[in-house]
Amino acid sequence: MKPVPRPHDLLWGFIPEQLPTTAPQWAFAAVASGEPVVVRRAEGKPGVVAVGIRGHGREERFGTWMALDRIVRSLSPEQLVSAIKSYPADLPALKALIWAKPCLDATGLVWGVTGSAGFQLATGIRTLHADSDLDLLMRAPAPLSRSQALALLNKLDKAPCRLDIQLETPQGGIALREWAQSSHRVLLKRASGACLVTDPWHLVEIAA
Amino acid sequence: METLKFEFPAGQSPRGRALVGGVGSGDLEVLLEPGEAGMLRLNVVTSVNGSAARWQNLFERMFREQTPPALNIEIHDFGATPGVVRLRLEQGLEELQLEGAFHD
Repeated sequence: MKPVPRPHDLLWGFIPEQLPTTAPQWAFAAVASGEPVVVRRAEGKPGVVAVGIRGHGREERFGTWMALDRIVRSLSPEQLVSAIKSYPADLPALKALIWAKPCLDATGLVWGVTGSAGFQLATGIRTLHADSDLDLLMRAPAPLSRSQALALLNKLDKAPCRLDIQLETPQGGIALREWAQSSHRVLLKRASGACLVTDPWHLVEIAA
Repeated sequence: METLKFEFPAGQSPRGRALVGGVGSGDLEVLLEPGEAGMLRLNVVTSVNGSAARWQNLFERMFREQTPPALNIEIHDFGATPGVVRLRLEQGLEELQLEGAFHD
């Protein structure tokens, strides 16, 4: 059995016929050229996964659904890490990625590349700009304390561009930066929607 | 990029300030500071153009249910969904209350 796609995985095999007729023209163009779609965090019917299509414009994002049996290939954020070496680091986000790698490896956590940088590493299509942030994901199956989060962030904030790091707990995704700060509750993104929680690893309360 | 301004009737001005949220895509940053008594002012800078009516509706629904405190609220939006905007505003108001309790 194929593994179930997880948020931020890139999937190949989406065909234009799967798009609703209401989809924008650029979405048809992106899919027709064989570009991968990105797994979104949303609950769907059995047999389908929520995906997003990236256009080439900054605000071009289209959310739709993909049948699981259409997937011909997938890449997870962590699988993209090995592509870093072979990629020319000509932009701040890629320089930051090379710079941050030893620090991220040292955490012992599984981590990967998402967002524009991940898309570019996977496809070779230039989606990053000189002012792009670097989006990363870290898998945190066990709790990471707020002081650990702050210590990690303090190291990583010396990177050549701004890092936007999502911690993936068994319950959903939180921003490392928010977890490292002092707010009483943090925003947890789940397939069922976002909610504010005090402990993103153990949901005793769903406050939304 | 678009800058939008909104005003709503409000109660008393609270003490303290709060900053919640973040600048990542799909999120927003909300800075809440004490405002002029009786007035809630919101300044929204958003990456999504043509969204003024959506913000107006969202704020109207939120502040109709409960009179908000008098604040100046600065919002930097990076394409957050209305659900996330609402949660962040609620979180900001909660942080203000917690800070108020700390001062008392």
